[in-house]
Amino acid sequence: MVQPLSGQAIYVVLLRELKRYWRAKARIISSVAQSIFFLAIFGLGLGGFIGGVGKVSYLSYLAPGIIGMGLLFGSVFSGVSVIFDRQFGFMKEMLVAPVSRTSIILGKILGGAVTASIQGIILMAVAGIMGAFTPTPALIFGALAAIGVMLLITAGFVGLGVAIGSTLNDFHAFQLLTTFVIWPLFMLSGVFFPIDAVPLPLQVAMLFDPMFYGVEMLRWCLLGVGTPLLGPLGWLISLGVLAGFNALMISIGTYLFSRAQV
Amino acid sequence: MSSAKTDTIEVNGLTKVFDGRVRAVDEISFIVKGGEILGFLGPNGAGKTTTLNMLSTLLKPTSGTATVNGHDIVKEPDAVRRSIGYVFQDPTLDIELTGRENLDFHGRLYNLNRSLRKQRIEEMLEVVQLTDRADNLVKIYSGGMKRRLEIARGLLHHPEVLFLDEPTLGLDPQTRRSIWEHIQRLNQEKKITIILTTHYTEEADYLCGRILIIDFGKIVALDTPDKLKAQLEGDVVSLTFKAPETISKVRPLFEKKNWIRRIHLVSIDDNQTTASRMMNMMQGMAAGSGMMGGTSPGSTGGSKMPKHFEKMPPQGAISQNNSSNQPPGSKRLNLLVDDGGHRIPSIVKLVDEAGVALESVELHKPTLDDVFISVTGRNIRDQRGSFMEMVRRHRIMRQARGRQTHG
Repeated sequence: MVQPLSGQAIYVVLLRELKRYWRAKARIISSVAQSIFFLAIFGLGLGGFIGGVGKVSYLSYLAPGIIGMGLLFGSVFSGVSVIFDRQFGFMKEMLVAPVSRTSIILGKILGGAVTASIQGIILMAVAGIMGAFTPTPALIFGALAAIGVMLLITAGFVGLGVAIGSTLNDFHAFQLLTTFVIWPLFMLSGVFFPIDAVPLPLQVAMLFDPMFYGVEMLRWCLLGVGTPLLGPLGWLISLGVLAGFNALMISIGTYLFSRAQV
Repeated sequence: MSSAKTDTIEVNGLTKVFDGRVRAVDEISFIVKGGEILGFLGPNGAGKTTTLNMLSTLLKPTSGTATVNGHDIVKEPDAVRRSIGYVFQDPTLDIELTGRENLDFHGRLYNLNRSLRKQRIEEMLEVVQLTDRADNLVKIYSGGMKRRLEIARGLLHHPEVLFLDEPTLGLDPQTRRSIWEHIQRLNQEKKITIILTTHYTEEADYLCGRILIIDFGKIVALDTPDKLKAQLEGDVVSLTFKAPETISKVRPLFEKKNWIRRIHLVSIDDNQTTASRMMNMMQGMAAGSGMMGGTSPGSTGGSKMPKHFEKMPPQGAISQNNSSNQPPGSKRLNLLVDDGGHRIPSIVKLVDEAGVALESVELHKPTLDDVFISVTGRNIRDQRGSFMEMVRRHRIMRQARGRQTHG
């Protein structure tokens, strides 16, 4: 079914996500702090004993992965919040309005992508202050490119969250989601260890993790290098995979959301 | 606006079957005129909300047709949505936003431009008297304030038709009264056509020009409150006894008198919310009491009678508020008789002869509660007689709503 898009409706749902995000200060602080703990403790602790990965320090290697972690958790949870919208009734207010469901969900995806990316930008700044990135003029462009990459990564994962949230109608599924979807996506994304240093089965598993390509893209932007496994055009491959994942997840999320009933 | 049109809503054989099994709404047809307040009166699970969900395009009918403001609910859902405001039974506000932001969000969804939004928001806040609380987060609002905000929101885009689903459910008497006044004023000043659902007979009586009684998905009566009550000619004499168990001694005596047209035993269960009634029913079930058995309809009352016939001041009209002098579990016997005033001495005499002590005798004109009992055979708040059926329907309807597809 063709549903007309309404720019106004997309914008207003996006605006709501931003307002809600901004007001939940405790949530912003706790998730930023969590990432900082990871960076500081693993970066310094594990770094002191590993040294570095390739030519970069372990802290530098870790930083894009931890930014990715913030993006991943933020975006999936943002998508899954359609469950809460339904539970607390607000969904009905949106569904009875004369706007298409596609507009509503695109607003939701955009809102989730923007808020999760804000989180990523905060983490990027914190990692920069901790000395994770070499301060060169190129870093400015790298950081700008990284912001674009963040939006790309998060849009796909909000789509995944919406798809899951539209299928499950249950708060309790949350724990399962975290354990069986988000954590594996995070652990296999090459945050802590380089893909070319692990056994083949794990390598294969990592190559099936879309988040792996997200972290790769962030490393290309912020460190200027990627894994030797994908070669010098690794960034292009990663970009392609991310774009494909995005298109797929946004379509599936939109479809499942339009199908779901109040 | 719609005042020029005569029939704002036309419903023809509208039916909703959930899961191929439960006929939640069963071939209902009716017409609502422009500017009218029509009440859907019926117990929980009667099909009231399902009907509203179909009329508001949230649910697709299984069969039948309906037009709202001249637009077909299946073929022109967007035009229907633009014509209606819907105040849902469950809260649908974003409590993390302020009252004003909730209204602003709504105005944007309905494509009102900035200046129109600003003007209407101020206007509606004024109407529901929330101007000075507009910039507080909704999570600190009281229940009544939330309800008023939802009503304001439902009206922000100037709908031709307003659906109010149980607008005062769970509110205290003062708040209920103020919401009734708001609804009445909106209807009179803005000529908005309103359908409201309720299972409070006093609410239907006070607000509605016509009342549609719906039971198990079917329309069982549709008329003005006065005409509905006039169908039950005569008076209701209501008796309470010092010892409730003595009722069984006097009841057979009344049954022998042919001038007593109907006898109903009604519990006085004031102060009970739907939830606590449910709890009681559950406990009753667990205890294996025989109430689901072959007791005659209406004889295991889950409710009480309102006292007066006239449109009372709303304050006194609140069912949950006005029988506080009665111990819980009390019952009263309602007798429908002609010329009640003259019959009272004979009734008292009969009770005396049975050696039973009366607590009180009360005479009133038939109310909508009495009408409901007479057309459905059950008391409106008495769901015990059909408890299993109700639970079954509720479960299936909820599950089905969760799965149903409609884009």
